[in-house]
Amino acid sequence: MQKEPINLSFDALVIGGGIAGGEAALNLANNGYKVILIEKRLSLGGKMIMLSKVFPTLDCSACITTPKVSEISRHPNITIFTESDLTSIEKTGEKNFIAKVTRRPRYVIAEDCTACQLCEQACPVIVKDQFQYNLVGRKAVYIPFSIASPKVAAIDIENCSLCGACEKVCPPGCIDFTQEPREYIIHAQTAIVATGFRLYDPTNVPRYSYGEARNVITSMQMERLLAPTRPFHTILRSSDGKVPDKIAYVLCAGSRDDSMGNPICSQICCMYSIKQAQLLMGALPMADITLYYIDIRAFGKGYDEFYEQAVGMGVRFVKGKVGRITEKENGNLTLRYEDIATGKLKESEHDLVVLSVGVKPNSEPADIFTSHKLELDSLKFVKQSDPLLSPAKTTIEGVFVAGTATGPKDIPDSILSAGAASSEAISYLNQ
Amino acid sequence: MSTEKTMTVKILRETRKVSDEVKENLKQFNKDKKSILEALGQGEKTIAQLSEATGMSREKTMFLLMSLIKFGFASAGTVDDMDEYFTYKLKTNEQN
Repeated sequence: MQKEPINLSFDALVIGGGIAGGEAALNLANNGYKVILIEKRLSLGGKMIMLSKVFPTLDCSACITTPKVSEISRHPNITIFTESDLTSIEKTGEKNFIAKVTRRPRYVIAEDCTACQLCEQACPVIVKDQFQYNLVGRKAVYIPFSIASPKVAAIDIENCSLCGACEKVCPPGCIDFTQEPREYIIHAQTAIVATGFRLYDPTNVPRYSYGEARNVITSMQMERLLAPTRPFHTILRSSDGKVPDKIAYVLCAGSRDDSMGNPICSQICCMYSIKQAQLLMGALPMADITLYYIDIRAFGKGYDEFYEQAVGMGVRFVKGKVGRITEKENGNLTLRYEDIATGKLKESEHDLVVLSVGVKPNSEPADIFTSHKLELDSLKFVKQSDPLLSPAKTTIEGVFVAGTATGPKDIPDSILSAGAASSEAISYLNQ
Repeated sequence: MSTEKTMTVKILRETRKVSDEVKENLKQFNKDKKSILEALGQGEKTIAQLSEATGMSREKTMFLLMSLIKFGFASAGTVDDMDEYFTYKLKTNEQN
């Protein structure tokens, strides 16, 4: 049993191992600074590594993310703590931050695991796979997903039957049920907050019937259905295995609506819905895809052309806000909406509805700063002290912010902001 | 490699109790898995046909069957003339 926390020192502490945190860590490391990257999940890569493709280029998301994550993992100046909780950060002086970190046990000796997955085969337990958004099962001992980094098994101890089958079959003998949480004290000169965002929970809008109607899914679930590492062998309804052929997207599901508790635009739901519609047209050429939207916000480079491409492919765009989704006996859905073009209330039937969910803040980082207050804006995103001239600065000197922690952003903007945060951090370190 | 491994799970068993929920889920999964594999043993079936044969809801059948495909017990067969529903079959090189 560990008696004393382990003390470690770094130049920079990066909180969050998504694409923005990873990029910021890499920039610092490439400039010779020693960085520790803290990630609460089992793998680096954040939400981006779970996506099918990216807009507007339709590049494979995993193909972009995996080399980047691999570079971060192999960099000699970067130390990575996954499955770790940062419980507090105290600023004790100029360029002096002290963070307390707990590393949760994986019950697997990471250095010895070869990712052979024999443990998974032997495990008799099945639970919902959170990395596939509960569409399929996983074992109690599992590799989070095929391109996880680190690609190391972990045991979900809450669901483990303690049968020991994994331990019996593991060739290098790396299963270790005696592992316990390990406490660390991290000393760093600067910190970058890259804690990302949360997806809007559509159960907050009962009229969309998410969680009630069997064939209403979220856009993230559709991402998984479209990804090469998809949960099913093709795109199917999870309620009955039907190949859908009349699919509706409800844009701004949990965005731009005070009544839903989220007045802001997600900045991504138009474009990812258009992307998914194009991918669906490729996967299901006979399918009828309709997007119900308020406005199409195609603001980035190549985005409007991407929208026009979808129109050209036959994706149907209906300007109108969906008021209610009801389920029919056969599992199909009736959408009641206001058609802005005609000014009439209409209904249409679809066999699968995708809610293009919005972006909500992750307000967790505010609670971990103990000696100084990391201020949030009115929407609970991390407040930028100088949003125009130094957008990476927070209300604590020496603490910078990257990615969607400050508000909704697409991937290129997240990467750009990570560049800004790492540059500001380097300037601060050189002062 | 040594044939005698120290089973660390035995050490944890002394201090940690497996919950009744975990035990019940395991029991139920084994029962459902047996039921699905037996039904598939009688021939290829769609989700609806499997659901009827096992008495489970189509949603639960879908979740379990897709998991069994992932773990190598079953595979997809052919799609019907309307391109709507696939059949599923046992995988011949069953490992588990």
